Amino acid sequence: MATPNFLWSLAKKYFTAGLIGLTISDRYASFMAVRGSSMSPTLNPYNENSTAFVLDDYVLVEKLCLQRYKFSRGDVVVFRSSSPPGLDVASLLKELSSPSNYKEKNVKRIAAMPGDWIHLPSLDTVRVPEGHCWVVGDNAACSMDSRSFGPIPLGLICGRVTHVVWPPQRIGGVNSKISMLPEVQVLVSEEHSH
Amino acid sequence: MFPTFKDGNIVLTERITSRSGRVGSGDVVLIRSPDNPRKVVAKRVKGIEGDEVSYVLDPKNSDEQKTVVVPKGHVWIEGDNIQNSYDSRQLGPVPYALVQSRIFFVVWPPKDFRLIGNEVS
Repeated sequence: MATPNFLWSLAKKYFTAGLIGLTISDRYASFMAVRGSSMSPTLNPYNENSTAFVLDDYVLVEKLCLQRYKFSRGDVVVFRSSSPPGLDVASLLKELSSPSNYKEKNVKRIAAMPGDWIHLPSLDTVRVPEGHCWVVGDNAACSMDSRSFGPIPLGLICGRVTHVVWPPQRIGGVNSKISMLPEVQVLVSEEHSH
Repeated sequence: MFPTFKDGNIVLTERITSRSGRVGSGDVVLIRSPDNPRKVVAKRVKGIEGDEVSYVLDPKNSDEQKTVVVPKGHVWIEGDNIQNSYDSRQLGPVPYALVQSRIFFVVWPPKDFRLIGNEVS
């Protein structure tokens, strides 16, 4: 038999828990589901032999890196999207498949930091501008990343993926190594190598 | 952002407008700089996605104007002090997700206590 006092104290407890949870999720770390296979095999590995129901990976996203916006090459980051400026012929295709909603978040790996040079087969050498970074999905064949929408401002990043927490057989850390894609070559500049 | 803000002004900002995607033309916003993620600047939004924005390329030498359509997911920001502002005229359209909050009130010093509106005062 719920009395008003009981309901009120229950509401207060839930509200406090909600506030604490929101603060932790905003400032320290939160969990996120990874959709799609653009980061295989690191996240959501695609297993052709498996006929069982494949679960999405859940990852731990830490937000302490946002205090100073200090990232390194090889970090797997979560960032809000911006649409590509649509400069070339393929812009129509990009509009259909690329993120166009500022609320959408993507997970990719940082391949290059400000000042680095990127070699692409189709375009000439691109220099990553100040305050931006070049992101690439581990599964280069089916990944919408900086090769389509160009370098992204570091300010769009909202966290760094450090661990996989679900499913249980895949619990473990996410490493910071870049497997060099043959078509994307990075010339590291002196200022940012550490 | 002179004359809207002067050195030493303390302002009140709200995040509801920016989180719900309702930032419109004329709003003064705090936006993270695309050039330096540690810097948050105050600018006025002159155009949202789909708007056509015209600006003078070289104010000192000529009157030649350039018109740009703001792409989807971006905003066009300009400082109120046109002569001395580093904004979308140099940076280009800025992604909407960089908008942090909207400034709507000046609270200090007391003689400047007022609402911030959509027009440059």
